[in-house]
Amino acid sequence: MRPSLQDKYMDDVVQFSHQNNEPDWFTKIRTDNLEKSSDLSLPKYEKINYRSWRLDRPTDFNVTSVATGYAPATSKNYIIQAGGKTLDLHLQPELADKGVILTDIFTAVRDYPELIQKYYMTKVVKADDNKLTAIHAVMMNGGIFLYIPRNVQVKDSIQATFVQDNNIKRDFNQHVLVVAEDNSEVTYLENFITNGDSEENKANIVAEVITGDNAHVHYSALDQLSESTTSYLSRRGITGANARIDWAIGFMNDGNVIGDFGTDLLGDGSHTEAKVVAITTGEQVQGIDTKVTNYGRHTIGHILQHGVILESSTLTFNGVGHIVKGARGSDAQQESRVLMLSRHARGDANPILLIDENDVTAGHAASVGRVNKEQMYYLMSRGIDEATAQRLVIRGFLSSVITEIPEEEVRDRLTQMIERKLINGQQ
Amino acid sequence: MSTLEVKDLHVSVTDEENGKGQEILKGVNLKMSTGEIHAIMGPNGTGKSTLSAAIMGNSAYKVTQGDVLLDGKSILDMPVDERARAGLFLAMQYPAEIPGVTNIEFMRAAINARRDPDDQIPVRKFIKMLDEKQDILDMTDEMSGRYLNEGFSGGEKKRNEILQLLMIQPKFAILDEIDSGLDIDALKVVSRGVNSMRGDNFGSLIITHYQRLLNYIVPDQVHIMMDGRIVKSGGPDLAKKLEDEGYAGIRDDLNLDVKLTDEI
Repeated sequence: MRPSLQDKYMDDVVQFSHQNNEPDWFTKIRTDNLEKSSDLSLPKYEKINYRSWRLDRPTDFNVTSVATGYAPATSKNYIIQAGGKTLDLHLQPELADKGVILTDIFTAVRDYPELIQKYYMTKVVKADDNKLTAIHAVMMNGGIFLYIPRNVQVKDSIQATFVQDNNIKRDFNQHVLVVAEDNSEVTYLENFITNGDSEENKANIVAEVITGDNAHVHYSALDQLSESTTSYLSRRGITGANARIDWAIGFMNDGNVIGDFGTDLLGDGSHTEAKVVAITTGEQVQGIDTKVTNYGRHTIGHILQHGVILESSTLTFNGVGHIVKGARGSDAQQESRVLMLSRHARGDANPILLIDENDVTAGHAASVGRVNKEQMYYLMSRGIDEATAQRLVIRGFLSSVITEIPEEEVRDRLTQMIERKLINGQQ
Repeated sequence: MSTLEVKDLHVSVTDEENGKGQEILKGVNLKMSTGEIHAIMGPNGTGKSTLSAAIMGNSAYKVTQGDVLLDGKSILDMPVDERARAGLFLAMQYPAEIPGVTNIEFMRAAINARRDPDDQIPVRKFIKMLDEKQDILDMTDEMSGRYLNEGFSGGEKKRNEILQLLMIQPKFAILDEIDSGLDIDALKVVSRGVNSMRGDNFGSLIITHYQRLLNYIVPDQVHIMMDGRIVKSGGPDLAKKLEDEGYAGIRDDLNLDVKLTDEI
């Protein structure tokens, strides 16, 4: 029998926590969840089987990574981390004056214990939700904390870049905690990338978004983890009354990835838009489970996912819309579409609507299709070669999601990433 | 001068229901040079559109015999895009709609496909050219900014096909029923566009049911097609004769044993 995680890692976990000068209460979060983890199971997602990926078997999480350079972000507010170490951080002084906090997660644990104790894996993604969230809580080794106080509107976007180091053997367990208090607003853009490919590593990333009443968070993510990284990527949010969370996620990883996204619409009148664009290539498997639950009255939850599958890869979209009893006047809509470019590709789009209240509106659309021959013939009849014609058709297919993303910069970067990933996949 | 030659062309399509091949073209012969406009007229279901699709290389149409030659070289082994770059253009009866791709970026991609990757058309030059061609066709910038054919009316689609023709400037353009669904004003505009291309370096094969289009684009030669073959060729007068006598009259003149689809 394999030794339990507890037997294997307890000493390392305590030592790692002490190295980081973590307070005892935070060490306890790690050790408590290490004890719980063996009784928890892997999260289950419809039609996504990832058991063989062994995401529940961590390797090394406490090795000191070599922080390698990365081109600085273009925005006025940014944080850049490599292997969990902060390389660069800038926050406009006027924002700091207003009480906005942008810092690495370890500093946050030491400097803002009340906020972290209140929000870290307690309200959105709970540490004992499942085995992977528990492992995350135990072995979290990097990440950031972004805090927007009441009534503060952040005009310029805040960007976070996380570089994973695959030059060494080290799990990449990053935590993103975004708290937007009542009547605040922020646009946050994050980018996960991998540097090097000499080692195969696991990533267990959890992002939590907490919005107060009337708060509005625009959350954009461009995920580009490499083929040598196997990942669990969870991004979830909760809403206060009349709050809003807009997700725009470009799922452009090259390895096997589970994406667990969504919002719990707790406050009355709150609203979420979850937009996901995914491209899978090579032999990779990407499974995305986007779930919105309407708890509050008159809440609106919309899911829009479009994906393209090339070569021998697999892409599964689950869209889960759940309206609980009592969430009167709520709306749950979803659309998941998958385009397959190769005979060897596998794709699935599963709409799941769970409606426990009568006075609601709900709808879904899902499709799995191939590139339209008439469109290809038409484009090629104008002299455009097959590969370019394919890319045009695909871009058209993905554009219905991309055009919905409000930030021009995100749209442009996503379009570039799509082009690059498609060209790689077509070779 | 360039030439386009169709030699004893036999073409089949596969019936989707029973999987059997059905011969549509039964030996078409046609030769044209740049500087000439040829019209092909014929009743419904006689293979006119099949001829245009087979010349362009639509994979749904299978050439079982014969050849298509551009400047003396067979193009049958070339895929559609290569034929287009070699100088062929097909204005389609039912152009595809492509959401998410603007007309303007599509036309730039089409022009750039003919140029060296290191020598792509400068944006200014492209826009200037586009403005000129849009003027000929009474088109606005608004249409070029829209997604390719998406939500275009029948007339707008035809105009857009001709705009592409003017932008791409092929050696030979096949116009497949470009007049269908056009009112008289739109017909004049489309004809003006095609006529603006006339010259020593351009040839066109115009496929139509009606003589009316040929009042505006006067052909050098008219061919009448029935039952998968060209049964009679002549000058512009032939189209007028056809208008007077109908296809049945021509058939009876020639003593052909052909059933016309729409014959009562």
